[in-house]
Amino acid sequence: MRQYALRRIALAVPTLFLVSVIVFLLMRLMPGDVVTRMVEGQGYAPTLAALRHELGLDRSMPVQYADWIGGIVLRGDFGRSYWTRQSILEEFVHRFPVTLELALLTILISVVLGIAAGIISAARQDTAADYVSRVLAILALSVPYFGLAVVVVVVPSIYFKWTPVWTYVAFTADPLANLKIMLVPALVFGVTRAGPIMRIMRSSLLEVLRQDYIRTAWSKGLGERTIVLRHALKNAMIPVISLVGLQIPLYIGGSVIIEAIFRLPGVGLFFFEALGKLDYPVVQSVNLIIATMVVALNLLVDLSYAFLDPRIRYR
Amino acid sequence: MGRRAGITVPVLLALGLAMTGPAPAQEPKRGGVFRVAVQEAPGLDPHLTISFLSHSYVSLSYSLLVRFPNGPEQKHPADFSIVPDLAEKWTISKDGKVYTFSLRKGVRFHNKPPVNGREVTADDVKYSLERFMAKSAFAMRFEPVSSIDAVDRYTVRITLKEPYAPFLNHLANPVFCAILPREAEEKFKDFNHPDAVIGTGPFVLKSYEKGVRAVFERNPNYFMKGLPYLDGVTIEITPDASARLAMLRAGKAEIPHIWGWLGVEEARALSKTNPEMQVTPQQVIGVGFIYMRTDQPPFNDIRVRRAISLALDRKSWNDVLLFGEGCIDSGPVPCALKEWKLETSKLDPAKAKYLLGYDPAEAKRLLAEAGYGKGLTTPLFHWPGYVAPWRSYYELAAENLGKIGVTAELKPEEYGKYSSTTMVGKYEKMAMGPSTPFTEVDDFLYGRFYPELATNQSHVADAELAKMLVAQRREMDLKKRKQIVDDIQRYLADKAYYIYVPQWPQYVSHPAYVKGFKPHDGYGLGMRLVFTWLDK
Repeated sequence: MRQYALRRIALAVPTLFLVSVIVFLLMRLMPGDVVTRMVEGQGYAPTLAALRHELGLDRSMPVQYADWIGGIVLRGDFGRSYWTRQSILEEFVHRFPVTLELALLTILISVVLGIAAGIISAARQDTAADYVSRVLAILALSVPYFGLAVVVVVVPSIYFKWTPVWTYVAFTADPLANLKIMLVPALVFGVTRAGPIMRIMRSSLLEVLRQDYIRTAWSKGLGERTIVLRHALKNAMIPVISLVGLQIPLYIGGSVIIEAIFRLPGVGLFFFEALGKLDYPVVQSVNLIIATMVVALNLLVDLSYAFLDPRIRYR
Repeated sequence: MGRRAGITVPVLLALGLAMTGPAPAQEPKRGGVFRVAVQEAPGLDPHLTISFLSHSYVSLSYSLLVRFPNGPEQKHPADFSIVPDLAEKWTISKDGKVYTFSLRKGVRFHNKPPVNGREVTADDVKYSLERFMAKSAFAMRFEPVSSIDAVDRYTVRITLKEPYAPFLNHLANPVFCAILPREAEEKFKDFNHPDAVIGTGPFVLKSYEKGVRAVFERNPNYFMKGLPYLDGVTIEITPDASARLAMLRAGKAEIPHIWGWLGVEEARALSKTNPEMQVTPQQVIGVGFIYMRTDQPPFNDIRVRRAISLALDRKSWNDVLLFGEGCIDSGPVPCALKEWKLETSKLDPAKAKYLLGYDPAEAKRLLAEAGYGKGLTTPLFHWPGYVAPWRSYYELAAENLGKIGVTAELKPEEYGKYSSTTMVGKYEKMAMGPSTPFTEVDDFLYGRFYPELATNQSHVADAELAKMLVAQRREMDLKKRKQIVDDIQRYLADKAYYIYVPQWPQYVSHPAYVKGFKPHDGYGLGMRLVFTWLDK
């Protein structure tokens, strides 16, 4: 196990190296020039040259790459934004809790709603409750979350002169105020993501409910609650968990727009704005940090299998 | 066609009201915090970015040497006369080359370390203007400056290589010449750090939480006694436009844009749902156009360019997209720059038709004469992200051009690419978009037409025109300069170097309790809010 973990960590190094090279090159392959973009066509030769020199863009690409990656590896320095000259790591650390909290709340809401609706729908197949749940799930699937977000922000402002858009307060500063701010965006995002979870939960549970061991349970005279929740649900959850796992990138990607609409100062927005401004160091470093997190999470997940299922052994 | 042909009577009335100000003077009340819902500025250093957002944020805290009139001082929204700011008075030598400014005495920087409220001196002015010349992308506007000297503690002398008429206007532009304290740069490396924002302006930056809000408080030592009326200004960072408008409607912001602007559709919707809101149309400075590689075929042929201009049905654009409230006579000098604009009605109609006329038959004839009887195909590069009505403009242009046999293939570009290639003249054949709204006519003429400049997007190289362009910026006598600018407009009327499209108004929107917030066409926010107060 320990050997396996060490081998995986060693393998992560070339993976991250490749990520860093690809993201570095991709940024440079993007059309446009950051210096011209910064001055929006207003600068003239001496200013442009000075700015290019100041940002180190007059050096060759390998030198720029070595400088960036060397800073990270040797000094833990992720560089500074071209536009604000502020430390990228500081900004990331400041913003990451917002995105993490949004993602966790969204996952929680979508999982709770999706599983509950899926269970009711499957246990009460072809009843009014089933139809209502299915219609709601299709609605959640077909309404884009950004569309719903705009409706939630705009409609009450027109009819009730109220809007669920607040000034962000950190969880550590005031947990209640923070949850009040985060709840609506997480609900909007979570509800739309609950649709697919409900569909999978329903079909998976229906399949399990038709299996022999469930029939045996019924014949033993067990109650419905025990059969569905204790015997069927556990086995029906496997595809649901896989789906939630697959949706995690969507939670991160979607946070960009949710953050913009609900004024949440998260990483998604930071990254998105940097892309538009061709802020190379920000895009590169944020990408690399997130890639590192994904690699680390994957490793943790793989290792956790051994704890969950004792039959799994790593070599 | 009259230059205001496209503006309806209500708009004119509203503009008139804006010029004369409210009739019964109400006694301003002190207090209250003014909240602005706006996107985040890309930085705070006025020399390291040219973003209007950055400049507007920090305009709350910085002063200039001289400035434009605002609030009750201004005659109309495009009043660019020069009034004192940190300089109490100034003289210009007879040859127009030496400017001597006398500073107000006893003006102190905000009481923040490391400056700690020390007095502003001539050295600060010298340092700030020299830093502008060294670092700002707008530094080209100070190219004629040969030296800046601190003569004594309160006197600054700026010597130019040649007379330069736009100079005071540039000095008064908040985008350019904020007066900064050197110590802050020494401590923080630049002026991007919120703690480095130390000026002499009406509001002190108290805190700035990135992506959330910037809090400004009244400067108790502001040199304009009794001002500002507001206790403070809070910038509520809101990236999404629909959220900004929702905040205005829900009473969480006083303005939904850094200058309170809304587009025509949003303003109409707001007036309908919230009739209590004050929505004032303002004909803002700006020019939108099709630009072409006039140095290459087919657009080096004047007949082809004139055909393009004659193909555009500007009146229909204005009626359909701008509800008839736009300004059709929009270039080369923008509608709102009233002092400099030579209305098309005063031009020779035979020439003016190539500026504003609509005649598809004549356009086809001109194309055939130029050898394009069977039509031609051109890309039309653009950035689709500009606010309404731009997306419709691109489509209408392509549709109108199609009717005369010119196939314009729409080529949308991502902003990073558009702003660093197409917008600076690196494109093939044809492109379209708006111009930065400058406050000096020189930017719309010299900047747009002088050979080799990046802002000369149509690659115009016209020796006769270039002579006039240089002459107007060297002429210090206002009347004579105006004559040259008129001559330039007459000369340009039938050249079709740029093909102008109708200019749309902006709608300054805020609750009725906001008083004294007068629309002004310059940059910056600080001086607009100096005279603003809340009646609640």
